[in-house]
Amino acid sequence: MNKVSQEGLLDWAGPILQGALTTLEIAVLAYAIGLLLGLVGASARLSPWGPLRGLATVYSTAVRAVPELLLIILLYYAGSQALTALTNALGLPGQVAINGFVTAVGVLAFVQGAYMTEVLRGAILAIPRGQLEAADAFGFSAWTRFHRIVIPAMLPNALPGMSNLWLILIKDTALISVIGFSELFFTVQQAAASTRAHFLFYAAAGVIYLAMTLTSTALFTRLERRVRRGQPLREEV
Amino acid sequence: MTSSTQAPSPVASPRLAVEARHLVKRYGDLEVLRDVSLEVPEGSVTSIIGASGSGKSTLLRCLNLLERPDQGDLAIADEAIRFDRNPQGDIVGLDRRQLQRLRAKVSMVFQQFNLWPHFTVLGNVTEAPMRVQGLSRRRAIERAEHYLERVGLADKRDGYPAYLSGGQQQRVAIARALAMEPRLLLFDEPTSALDPERVSEVLGVIRDLAAEGRTMVLVTHEMAFAREVSDQVVFLDRGFVGEAGSPRQVFEESQDPRCRRFVAPAA
Repeated sequence: MNKVSQEGLLDWAGPILQGALTTLEIAVLAYAIGLLLGLVGASARLSPWGPLRGLATVYSTAVRAVPELLLIILLYYAGSQALTALTNALGLPGQVAINGFVTAVGVLAFVQGAYMTEVLRGAILAIPRGQLEAADAFGFSAWTRFHRIVIPAMLPNALPGMSNLWLILIKDTALISVIGFSELFFTVQQAAASTRAHFLFYAAAGVIYLAMTLTSTALFTRLERRVRRGQPLREEV
Repeated sequence: MTSSTQAPSPVASPRLAVEARHLVKRYGDLEVLRDVSLEVPEGSVTSIIGASGSGKSTLLRCLNLLERPDQGDLAIADEAIRFDRNPQGDIVGLDRRQLQRLRAKVSMVFQQFNLWPHFTVLGNVTEAPMRVQGLSRRRAIERAEHYLERVGLADKRDGYPAYLSGGQQQRVAIARALAMEPRLLLFDEPTSALDPERVSEVLGVIRDLAAEGRTMVLVTHEMAFAREVSDQVVFLDRGFVGEAGSPRQVFEESQDPRCRRFVAPAA
């Protein structure tokens, strides 16, 4: 037995759990921001005003067309170059390094927002016209109509897609490892490399991802039941 | 170019809940309303009848501006609607604030009920008074309970609309409209989506409201009912008013051959 293999799972448990926590933090924040971007994006896509609609269409189309890995690298390296150039131009010397956590959340939220835009747009379009007309007929303001009628009425349609995006997002956090930020996947890579117990550590990572996704699937199922509480269960088709 | 001009005040008499002058509404090349004028006195019931496609629902929907007319003048509840018009006089826009204020005084009951499925029955009835009129939750609930009692559904307050029959849903929709304590009630074919055995429970509620002296405009295919409850009946025909007057004038004494033929089964 050589020296590196004397470290075991227990020695790495702390860092790995820390990495898992970081992964969750990134995912939750990126999801929340992506949800906001998606609401704005979907509203813009459905706006009667052409330029706004165009902008939102470009956003959702372009972002969904480029690999996320490329976007992460682009934002991290190109972003720090651009910021460095900017600060140097302002007379501040030195390099600007973008914080890995901020990059991770920023890029993933940006990508989530694009997919979320489409999920929410479809869900809003599926709201029966009459429910919105009733809100108009009673003199609801645009904001009241949006948060009291549009959002609760579209949620039952949107939640399956939203839950899908959340699962994809948790797994996409692993891409952040390419910029050397120690979330779950990066930590496990290090552990595996230093102990050579590849199977053990990658399997452990798989179990942790599985635990996260299964828990959240259960939460989404409960949430969906809640937002559908006014609708009788549909007969099987 | 558009210019915001005050409608040449369609002589808003205080006794009229609706005063419409020469309304025109087009969808592309299709002219649905060609020239329709209508006066609804406060405290009266007006029924709009006519064949499918005669423009009666469009006319009703113009009265709370769910449809924006292309030409004409409109005053609702003593207030002339300020339309934005182009130099040719065509209507191209509306004052959104006036619109919201006005709609709070005009309630509508829809053919398809259009209840909000994510709110309970009580929630459906309290929503607009709370959010639009700014009532406290407590006062809105008191009001909602009062009107749910009126339509005979007090015991369903905590249920969801999807679990009610069509007739019950429409009665909730009427309670929702009444809870705004509106100056004007609009009914857009309120019984057309109901099973035949459910029609009478909804007509019964509307009949009681008419007897109370509420101002109502009703689009309906229920001829006998229109004849019974209305003070005024308007027969729309291909975008024009074919005949208008008391039920007797329209159902028995009309000189318009198309009107006579239309009302014949009920006359």
